[in-house]
Amino acid sequence: MIGVFLVFPGLWTLYIGATNFRLTGVSAREPDFVGLDNFERALTDQTFYHSLWLTLIFVFGSAVVGQNGLGFTLAWALRDARKWIRRTLEALVLLAWILPSSVVAFLWIAMLDRDGGTINALLGTVPGIAWTVEYPLLSIIVFNIWRGTAFSMMLYSAALSSIPPSHLETARLAGSSGTQTLRDVVFPHIKRHALTNTLLITLWTFNDFTPFLITASDYDAEIIATFIYNKAIVGGEMGYSGAISLLVLLMNLLLALVYLRVARRRLA
Amino acid sequence: MAGIEISALTKEFPGGVQALNGLDLSIADGEFFALLGPSGCGKTTLLRTIAGLETPTSGSVRIGDRDVTRLPPGARNVAMVFQDYALFPHMTIEDNIAYPLKIRRQARETRLKHAHDVGSQLGLDGLMRRRPAELSGGQQQRVALARAVACHPSAFLFDEPLSNLDARLRLEARTFLKRLQRQLGVTTVFVTHDQAEALALADRIAVMEAGRIRQIGTPREVFGRPANTFVAGFIGSTPMNLLPGVVRDGAVLVAAQQLSVLDVPDGEVVVGVRPEYVAVTENGPLAGAVATVENLGTSSLVTVDVDGLSIGAVVPEDREVEPGTRVALNPTRVLVYRDGELVS
Amino acid sequence: MMLVVKRILTYVVMGVGTAFFALPVLWLLSAPLDDTPTYAVRPPRTFSLDNFASIMDNRYAVASLVNSTILSLGTMVLVVSAAALAAYALSRARVPGRDALIYLLLLLSSVVTGTAAMVPIFLLIFQLGLIDSHFGVILVLTGGLLPAAIFLLKDFIDTIPPSFEESARVFGASPLQILRQIVVPVARPGLATIAVWTVVQVWGSFLTPFILLRDPDKQPAAVLVRTFYTEGGSPNLGLIAAFSLLYSIPVVLMYLLAWSRYGFRFHGGIKT
Repeated sequence: MIGVFLVFPGLWTLYIGATNFRLTGVSAREPDFVGLDNFERALTDQTFYHSLWLTLIFVFGSAVVGQNGLGFTLAWALRDARKWIRRTLEALVLLAWILPSSVVAFLWIAMLDRDGGTINALLGTVPGIAWTVEYPLLSIIVFNIWRGTAFSMMLYSAALSSIPPSHLETARLAGSSGTQTLRDVVFPHIKRHALTNTLLITLWTFNDFTPFLITASDYDAEIIATFIYNKAIVGGEMGYSGAISLLVLLMNLLLALVYLRVARRRLA
Repeated sequence: MAGIEISALTKEFPGGVQALNGLDLSIADGEFFALLGPSGCGKTTLLRTIAGLETPTSGSVRIGDRDVTRLPPGARNVAMVFQDYALFPHMTIEDNIAYPLKIRRQARETRLKHAHDVGSQLGLDGLMRRRPAELSGGQQQRVALARAVACHPSAFLFDEPLSNLDARLRLEARTFLKRLQRQLGVTTVFVTHDQAEALALADRIAVMEAGRIRQIGTPREVFGRPANTFVAGFIGSTPMNLLPGVVRDGAVLVAAQQLSVLDVPDGEVVVGVRPEYVAVTENGPLAGAVATVENLGTSSLVTVDVDGLSIGAVVPEDREVEPGTRVALNPTRVLVYRDGELVS
Repeated sequence: MMLVVKRILTYVVMGVGTAFFALPVLWLLSAPLDDTPTYAVRPPRTFSLDNFASIMDNRYAVASLVNSTILSLGTMVLVVSAAALAAYALSRARVPGRDALIYLLLLLSSVVTGTAAMVPIFLLIFQLGLIDSHFGVILVLTGGLLPAAIFLLKDFIDTIPPSFEESARVFGASPLQILRQIVVPVARPGLATIAVWTVVQVWGSFLTPFILLRDPDKQPAAVLVRTFYTEGGSPNLGLIAAFSLLYSIPVVLMYLLAWSRYGFRFHGGIKT
């Protein structure tokens, strides 16, 4: 099962990427083998680079910095908060994570709307800003932080609770300040978790399709996921989007390998 | 009821770890037999091989008059109690005890009645409807025993049966276990790393090290005349004094003083004396200053420095000495080891 | 002094955090009950249940919930049974390089279930003639979720001491008996967690059914909710809000159920 749905698509993408397969027309019936043409096209395509750049900003802003940072901050702040406060906030964060993606997408369309949107009401902007049109990338970054912080928060609170209390107490007895404790005791302990977490949320965000539901095909927020969708399903250019899929796949694997490398060297 | 015969048993794990190395062992019918050794010595592997949970690389296991080497565990008619008791958390105590009978397709009523009989024999009345998690460690251990008793095996195999109990409970459970074994008269093999437990419970002990048996004997033999320095160092709650010495014309010398005269060839030896057999006196062959005194309750362990050697001696509670006092030591029951093996 | 500043800082962080996470969700609670909902988060002007009634009138709405249920349950059965067997085998077998294999699969699956695999999966299903078929979607979702399910379940089965099975073996139980009488009952919390997790994942999944199901009669709620527009072309807010709420409730309920019964078994040590 895993073989069929994971390995096979990988290989097949390679084949598709090397043909001019289209959903309709002549080449739908008899795809020609065009070798590396698709890959060459991708690597010289300005819109592909544009989309890749947007994706990098999106992933870095929302996952690496946003979810990681907010997740850790929440986990740290809630560590010894009162029980009902912790429960409530955790439940809310978790709710953002478990609600179906079509629903949360719509919630944020509502939040960001120009006329009735809550964000504009809060900021008091008159006339309202059409966030999804004017700042589409920022919109989906904020959205994705909201959406995915739960995982980081849970992972970090599990990590924090695994620090032996005696270590924290030793730091306190030695008179170290809050930041010193964080640096010398907490971070070394959760380094491994932080790496794993960053890797997972990076890969997830890279491949997340939900932003499409908010910004649709807006060119200024056309992250790779949307780009592939537009080319393949809307445009029917299977061969070309297959080539891009493969490039993305390779990038993801490369990313994973780099992380594993770092993890092994740092933590060996 | 049956004895257990093990011959030339070898077990090699993938990766080349030799857990058992050509073992021969004969356990008599009805015997209470201990496998004793430090962790990693192969004692648990041996027990699991008898149970059939491990397949030996070569050699054979016989239980009674059957060769069971290639039989699956369930066909060997043995019962095993695991270190963590392995009580099934989703079953009540009665279902746990009756589980072996369920496997044998006995009717539910028969097996529950039997479970209750065994349960009350082991003092588990009133707990039968509970679940394992609601029981104390000692009670859980009895349930595990009851489950083993309920299937009327030809041999019991216990893997560290007392190690999960706290110290006080352990003594109580030890007495209980010994009485139970006497009552049932079933051949019992148990694994332990605690030499006191082995001495207290077993009819005979096999001391193991690195996949081999270093000595087999009754508790008295193993304690009184350890066959080699490994066993000598392992058995005894206060470690045996193992002192460098020489034999010259039959005279055993330690720190240039003669301890005894024995019929052994000349040469360098290791001299073993239990602290319990070293008397602290006014005049003895070895003299030195008292370094430390450790209170053991009814006695004290006195460590004396003699010419750079630390020698332990156990003194009764009214004969304590102050640290720093000069004393003389008079060892008795002197054992002599050459190349690690007992020569006299 | 420092302490007071720290206190205040902590509360500000929590206050802002709460607002950030709560605000969007509030709309989901208020708008469905509003007679004339807008995008604004506000208490309902005129309280009414008309929006829910209009769901009943929409021919696709109810059917889509049924479709979501079919997809969720179908995938759950496949994922749970396959993951249970695979996880048990992986947990108990002494296979060299086992952990690396699992980790690799997990990475690969998180890469491949996303958009990168959209094209090949679409084509695969297209060529198999499974477009517009629930079975096709179930297969694809199962393939995507299985590695993570195996990983989570293996973690759980690893905590079951092997002595349980060994004990049963010594009493003469057959492998099938051991699986049925010992392993499955003991692993039930883990299996239930995986089942809930699978259902929630499938219930919310958008991309796969979105590209594989074209027929609105077969689309699950996740896809259908995007088609609720009024005749004027603007989104039908009342219908969307009410339907979203209805559609979200099962997910929340399942999480609450799993939470109350088993607690969140979150293993912070997703180790390499």
